[in-house]
Formats: sequence, C-alpha cells, structure tokens
Amino acid sequence: MNQFLDMVLIGISAASIYSLMAISMVLVWRSTRVVNFAQAGMALLSAYVGYELVARVGNFWIALPLAMLLGAAFSAFIEFVLMRTLQKHSSQGAIAAIAPIIATLGLLGLIRAVIGFIWGHADVQLEAPLSKVGFKFGETTIAVSPMSLFVLLFVIVLMIIVSLIFQKTNIGLALRASAYAPEIAQLAGIRVSGIRTLGWAIAGAAGAAAGILQTVNGTGSLSPESLEFSLLLVFGFIAAVIGGLESLPGAVLGALILGLVLAAVQIYISGALVFIVAFLLLLVVLIVRPQGFLGSKAGRRA
Amino acid sequence: MIRINRRKLITTSAVLAIAALTVATVPAQALNPSMGSDPGITATSIKLGITSPLTGIASPGYNKIPGAMKAYFDYVNTNGGVYGRKITLVSKDDQYIPTTAVAKANELILRDKVFALVGTLGTASTKALTASTQLSQRGIPSLFVNTGFSGFADKKAYPTTFSILPSYQMEAKIMAKYVKETYAGKKLALIYQDDDFGRDALAGFKTAGLTFDTYIPYASGSQSLPATGAGWISKLKTAGAEVTVLFGVSSASTAALANAYGAGFKTQWVLGSVGGDATTIAATNKAYVPLLYGAKGFSFAPAPTDTTDEYIKLFQGIYAAAQPTQTFDNNVVAGMSNAFLAVQALKAAGANLTRAGLIKVIETKGSTFASPFLTPLGYSSTAHIGATGYWVGTYGPTGALTPDGGKYTVYTTDSGTGPVVESTFKRPAMPAKGL
Amino acid sequence: MLKKHPLLTFIFFGFVLFLISNRLDELRVYQGATVAVYVIGIASIILLTGYSGQVSLGHGALLAIGGYAAALSRIHFNAPIWLTFVVAVLAAAVGGALLGLAAARLSGPYLAGTTLALAIGLPSIANQFPILGGEQGLFFDIGLPPASLGADFTQYKWFFWICWLVALIAIYWLRHVMNSRYGRSWRAVRSNDVAAELAGIHVGRNKVLAFTISAGLAGLAGALLAMTISLVSPGVFPLALSFSLATGAVLSGVTTLGGVMIGAVTLVAIPEIALAIANRFSGSETITTNLPGLLVSALLILTVLFVPNGPVEQLRAKRGKNEHSLKKK
Repeated sequence: MNQFLDMVLIGISAASIYSLMAISMVLVWRSTRVVNFAQAGMALLSAYVGYELVARVGNFWIALPLAMLLGAAFSAFIEFVLMRTLQKHSSQGAIAAIAPIIATLGLLGLIRAVIGFIWGHADVQLEAPLSKVGFKFGETTIAVSPMSLFVLLFVIVLMIIVSLIFQKTNIGLALRASAYAPEIAQLAGIRVSGIRTLGWAIAGAAGAAAGILQTVNGTGSLSPESLEFSLLLVFGFIAAVIGGLESLPGAVLGALILGLVLAAVQIYISGALVFIVAFLLLLVVLIVRPQGFLGSKAGRRA
Repeated sequence: MIRINRRKLITTSAVLAIAALTVATVPAQALNPSMGSDPGITATSIKLGITSPLTGIASPGYNKIPGAMKAYFDYVNTNGGVYGRKITLVSKDDQYIPTTAVAKANELILRDKVFALVGTLGTASTKALTASTQLSQRGIPSLFVNTGFSGFADKKAYPTTFSILPSYQMEAKIMAKYVKETYAGKKLALIYQDDDFGRDALAGFKTAGLTFDTYIPYASGSQSLPATGAGWISKLKTAGAEVTVLFGVSSASTAALANAYGAGFKTQWVLGSVGGDATTIAATNKAYVPLLYGAKGFSFAPAPTDTTDEYIKLFQGIYAAAQPTQTFDNNVVAGMSNAFLAVQALKAAGANLTRAGLIKVIETKGSTFASPFLTPLGYSSTAHIGATGYWVGTYGPTGALTPDGGKYTVYTTDSGTGPVVESTFKRPAMPAKGL
Repeated sequence: MLKKHPLLTFIFFGFVLFLISNRLDELRVYQGATVAVYVIGIASIILLTGYSGQVSLGHGALLAIGGYAAALSRIHFNAPIWLTFVVAVLAAAVGGALLGLAAARLSGPYLAGTTLALAIGLPSIANQFPILGGEQGLFFDIGLPPASLGADFTQYKWFFWICWLVALIAIYWLRHVMNSRYGRSWRAVRSNDVAAELAGIHVGRNKVLAFTISAGLAGLAGALLAMTISLVSPGVFPLALSFSLATGAVLSGVTTLGGVMIGAVTLVAIPEIALAIANRFSGSETITTNLPGLLVSALLILTVLFVPNGPVEQLRAKRGKNEHSLKKK
C-alpha cells in the first residue's frame, strides 16, 4: 500500500513538471499552429537566466517571475524574427510542413551552443528555495515535499489563469481565431501577427517556469547538455499530445497520465523500459484517439 | 536546346576528366610513417594524446583529469624531462560518445601523430577507438585507460592497451567480503547499472558468494528522470533495506542519496568507487555532499586529504602552482597518478624510445614501477593489469574519504575466482622529487 | 549528362573516387567514408520528407536497428560482409514498415514528435537485453582488407571503398525509384493527398512504402557507420545523429536528391572548419566544443529561411527562369 501511495505521489510530482512544458507547447500550438521543438532549449536558457537573477537579486521569489518575463520577451523576439521570416519565405511547397520544425530544431542547437559559450560546460547550481524533504505524518515521510507541492500548485494556478485568458477574454478569442483561421481573423480586424507574438510570449513564460522549476525540483544543477531537458522536451510533447494539443486542461491531464504510467513502470517493472513505454503510450493514443483525451475531432490536421 | 545539352555534356566531362587527371598526378602521400623512429618522438620532445569527456553528460569531475596530467608533465619538463625530452599532452573532447572518440583518436594518431595514447576514458569509447583505429596492429601503446572493464587487461585481445584501475569484478569481490563480514545478518539491497559495467560487478558478487535480498537494476540514462531515484527509495523502503550497495555512476548515487534524503529514508550506503566520487557529486550539487556522510567507499590511491602521504603532498604542491583556482580532489589524484606512471614507464624504456620498447618494458618491469597506489601493480607479459585492490573508508561530512581504523588496510584479489586477501604490500618510497 | 547517361555518370564518379582514395591521407580517407555514410542517411530523409512529405526526427533509431542487426549477424552467424548489410537493410525496413503503418495516420508535428520519442526510446532497449551488449556495446568487425590488395592497403581505405561502392549503388537505385511511378505518386501525395486519393493513388500504402524504403536505406547507413567505428552501442546513435541527418537533408535541399553531397560534406567539414578557427584562437576548448554546433545550427536556420528548397533546387529555378526569358527573346 505504501509503495502504491509513493508511486502515485511520485507520478504526480513528475507530472507537474511535464505539464508546464506541455502547457507551453499547447499555447504555441493554439496560437500559431507550430510545435516549437526549441521550447526545451528556451526553458534551459531561462533556467540559466534564473540562475543569474538569483545570484544577483538573491531572492528566488523575485527571480522566478522576472525570469518568466524575460522568457516571454525572448520567446516573442524569436517569433518576431524567426517565425515570421519563415512564414514569408517558405509557406508553399513541400517545405512548408517541415520548415518550422527544422527551424526550431536549429534554434535548439543554437541556444545550446550559446549557453556553452557564455556559461561554459561545468555544472551550475540553482538552489531550491523550499525544502525538498517530504512531509512527515507521524512515523512515515511521504513522497511530497514543500517544493514539489509548490510546483503542483503553481501548475494548477497557471493553467487556470491561462485557460481563463483563452476562454473568457477578447484577447483569448483573438488568439484562438488567429490560429484557426488567420485570414478570417484578419478580416475581422484582429492584428494576427501581433496576437501570434503574444501567444509565443505567454508560452515563453510558461516554458521559463518549467525550466526553472524542473531544475530546482530535481538535482539543482544546470549544464548545456542536461539530459533532463531533452527528456523534458519529449515528455512534454507526449503529454501535450496525449491530452490533446488543442486543450490546456488536456495538457495537464496528459502529463498526469504520463507521469503515473512512468512511475508505475519504474517502481513495479523496471526503470529500463521507461522510454519505450513512453513511446508506446504515445503511439497507442495517436492510433486509438488521435485527437487526444480532451481534444475535439475537428482541426487536428497540421 | 540540343546544342545546349551537348555543350553541357562536353563541358562537364572535360572538367571531371581534368580534375581526375590533376588529382592523379599529385604525388601519393606516404601511407606509412617513414622508416626509422616512431612518430611523436623527436630528440627533444614526446607527444602523448588523450581523448576524454571534457563536456557532456559524463564530464563533471572527469574533465579535470587532462589538466591534472598536464600539470604533472609540466613539472617533469621543468626538471629536465625524460632523457632530455619534454612531454606534450594533446587533449581532445569526445563527450563520452564512441563515434566522437574514434574521430578524435584518428586526429590524434593521424594528424597530431602522437607517440602513444594515455588515459582514455569510458569502456565503449575505448573499445571503439582501439578497434577502429587499429591500435594493436599499428603497435600504438594505449597507456593506463581509465576504465575498470576487465577485458582491457587481456593481452591477447588488447596487446598494446594497459589498464590502471582494478577491474569491476575485483572491486565487487572486495566489497562482498567487506559486506559479508561487517553486516552479517542484515537486510541487503543492491542498486546496479544494468549493463556490462554493473553485470561485471554481479559476477564478482556471485564469485564471492554474496547474495542480496533486493536487486534494483536501472538503465543507464534513466537515472536522470525525476521518478527513477524516487522509485528506488520506494522499493528500498518496502524491502526494509538496512545496507544498500550502489554500483553505478555518480548521477545514480546523486539520485539515490538526494531522494533518500527527501524521503527521510535511512540506510547504510556502500558506494562503488565509480559512483562514490564525492567531487563528481559535488560538481552536480554541493548540497549533496553532506548526504554522503557515513557512507562507505572504496579507493586504491591515498586519500586526497591525507597530507601525511608523500605523494599527496607532492601532487598538491604541483597542482596548486599549476591550477590555483581548481580544487584538489580524487580526480586530480587519478590524473596525476596516471601521468606519474606514464613517466615511470617512459623512463624505464630508456633513451632509445620506441613504441615496441615501451610496451615491452611495462610488461617486464611494470610490476616494480614506483606508483602512488597502495596496491601492487599487476603488469606482466601475460596480463596488462594495473592496480589490484582496494581499501575501505567512510565519507566525512565534507565528502572526504578516510580509511576505517585510521590506516590503509588494503585487500587484493584477481578478476577470476581467486580469494580476497589482506595485502602485505609495502609501497616503495617515492623517487627523489617525485620524478 | 546525368539525365542521358546516369549509369555512366555514376561509374565515372566512382572512378574519380577511386583515384582520390589513393592520394588522400588516412584521416581524409576516414572522413570520406563518413561522408558516404551521411550521403545514404540524408538520402533516406530526402525520400521520406522531401518526396513523401513525412517528417522523421528519429531516423537515428532506424540506423540503430540496421547497425545492431549487422553486428549481431556477424557475431552470431559469422555472416560475410555483404550479407550483414542485407540483414541490416531488411531489419530496418521491417522496422520502418511497422513505424510507417503506425505513422500513416499522423502528419506534421505529430509524426515528428513520435519519431523523436522513438529516437530516444529505441537505443535504450540495448540496455534491457544482454544480447544487445548494453552501454558498452558490441564489436562489429568486418575483418581486414583482402590480401590481394597488397600489404599497404589500409583498413580505412577498405572502409572508404565499401562505403562509397554501397553509397553509389544505393543512390543510383534510389534515383531510379524516385523517377519511377512510385516517385511520382509520392510527390502527388505530398502536394495534395486528397487529390491523389481521388486520382486512384492508395495514399496509405504509398506512405508506408516510402517509410519502408527510407528505413532500409537508413539501416544500411547504420551498418556502414558501425563498420567504420567497429562498434554498435546506444551512444553511437544519439539524438544528435537524428538531428544531424535532418539538418543535412535541409542543407542539401530536401526535395531533390541532387544536392545530397552538399549536406553530407558540410556535416563532416564543419567540425574541421571549427577546429581550424579554434586553433587560430589558440585552441580554446570552449570554442572547439561549441563552435561546430553553433555553425551547423546557424547554417540550418539560414538555409530554412532563405534557401528552403535547397541550393540545387534554387539554381534550377533560376535557370528555369533564365531559359524561359531566353526563349522569349
């Protein structure tokens, strides 16, 4: 019983990190119909920026929102410079489908190289602001610590805020319209290009949070080749797809499913099978329910 | 239209033909080195090469080794070198990827034309580069590779390669003896990496007759996932493990210790030498070093903090002058010991230095070389084994490993079925000025 | 010339390579063999993405299947070299067919992400089954060059010859396939799969076929890669390999086979160029490690932005325009 409880808590804890990345990807998808593979790289960069901020400002709670703002700004900048040029030059022909994918891949490599240049390859420490020792209930310590609890709450709050923006505000409506039918949105008077940049900005903020929280909740160390970040990218993507790329609650749900399944595999079977199970889960969901658990049938086509 | 096509055809063919003829008339590059002395040696210099993970996932800690080696080589150079020859070390970064290791080894051998390779790190990388660059066939010595894979000590398979670390089987057998004697009757658990590295250890444990109550394998690469370490601790908690042996890489130890701390789980940790590297753990996060406190560890070199040891004193002095901003730790000791042994070998090979000569002298005289290690060296004409044993110690709150009982009690064994014995080896005195 | 006498061109090119191999120093010979491996790998992506419109970011996994299959057939059955390559192609093709069946319903980023997950997941299987050698890997030794070639004939030259012979045959065959009705139906599906379906092309089957052939080529490249370093292990097929191949394909021009050499040579040349630049700056380790990645990524982004269809296609388009205006006069 204890092991089962542990497994559930571990799974939820891992899921909360994946969901941040998943939310970020869904945001980019919903506002610009592009999957940004460089998201992990941007999260990594934001984590380094967070490290610098903590070093200068000394306070994690100031550094976190500041890093998110910077992440938003950087993300908007990328959309402005890279994605728009891309749109102009390669929206026709065979290349149209893969050009954004390849471009974001190139961006990922670029960011990694720049990080290596600036900060070098030695591991850099980002200290957690909260304790990572699990809460105690009498004799037993459970697998939830103040830090992981914070991450969980952060994710829930973020998801609520972003969902509200998308569903209840005019800007949210504009975001959704620009993604589904840009020409019609433009005719309706929406500044589509500006709105897309905004979508990327919000995604950038979420990604920055993902990068920083992933680091402090994990080993606390950063390096340009952090394996965690490649995994974050893949698992964030899988979580987003399982939940339905269209849906923000879906991203969280997908992350939850992924986190629990992987935790179960690791505890009850073997850690070696984790990656393959993740792949199979993705494949099964895409075959059986391609729009994801919470996605709607229409509009899944790339 | 047809005229244009024919013109293009003629032009293209002409260009290609001229290019081919031009290339054909360029004199052939000599594919073999000129008869006479081996490459990498001149009257005044010896060029050695090393490829290791300077960046990438395996780099924390290990990336200090080339710098440490260079510090010692420079010290030797300022004291006249080896028979008047100064040693240069060409260092390349392979990021722990075998394909890159092969490419870098090729550069070292074919472009930089080094005399010998030294200190290659990583079993897969060493395997790949030895085979692909045909080290054995070319007769290029690969000195003191930084891996415990027992295969490299096999002279028939690797005639020009020499180990320096005890094999993982040796380590497992010694660990087994220690655990059986010290923790008899307790519940035992083993966390191990599920590949040749970990399975070498399993073989060693089996030979020594040690069985565990819980076995936890992990796939290399998965230890960086958030749930993995937590999963181990969960299993250990359920099994009620009182003593947990960990035979894995440093990132695995880090994951295990950090999660145990987070879960409030207490056990007696017994760490293998690869994963028990306090400085590599510190390189990941300084906050984890205190978690090592009370854990048992194994080493065969003197402790880096042991200033009563003449080798440590010497190395500390050299390193402080060469790299004042870097901390002196076991990776530095490893690198400098490696360099020290290499210089001993070069000296023993005489003024008329050749590759074949160097290999021969390590086989015949290697077991008598001066070395910082507290175990005898096993080099012979049938086996290329380096250190042959370990002493047991406990980690202090700052991560320093100090021997139990205040003195080094070294146990030696072999990679096969031989017994583990307490060694009576007395390390020969350091040569004057450590040269 | 290529259009009229393709066989002759390929044989001629092979002859040129033969001459070159005798004159280059060994390091270049080794790099030349690597270029051949990349040529096949990039061609497999051009087929899949450029012709059939399916994105794969995980071709490294297919190379891994081919590499491991070749190594295992050699270790356990002592298969002769050519047979190990056949086994590699078949094994990877089967993998590709399965993947293709699963992927037939996916498009764009879904397919890309799925293949990405595969690229990370598949090599880790080697750690699960001891027969696959784990992290340390398995030896893949194809033996020494035959004695008939002389004592001076180096191992790397032998690799060079094998890799290029195989590459030339593979590309020749691929070119033939791409110009056949299969190639035409792939391009039709890529442009507009609904219209293609209406025209009687079985879209699903086409996509799977493209995946299968692409995978077979990738497996071949994987076997050759393993041959050049005499080893297969998970570390030989990292995620970076999949990204490199995709990059090479874009640099070559993903819609046409003509520029495949460009991408392959660039991928091998960039670390060399980076090394030369780093040496000018007194060999700072930071530069040596980061510069190749920086150059490749920058090149990739610039190519996608400004030369999206690749240099060859760009040239053809320009020439097309010129000839058109020439005719008008």
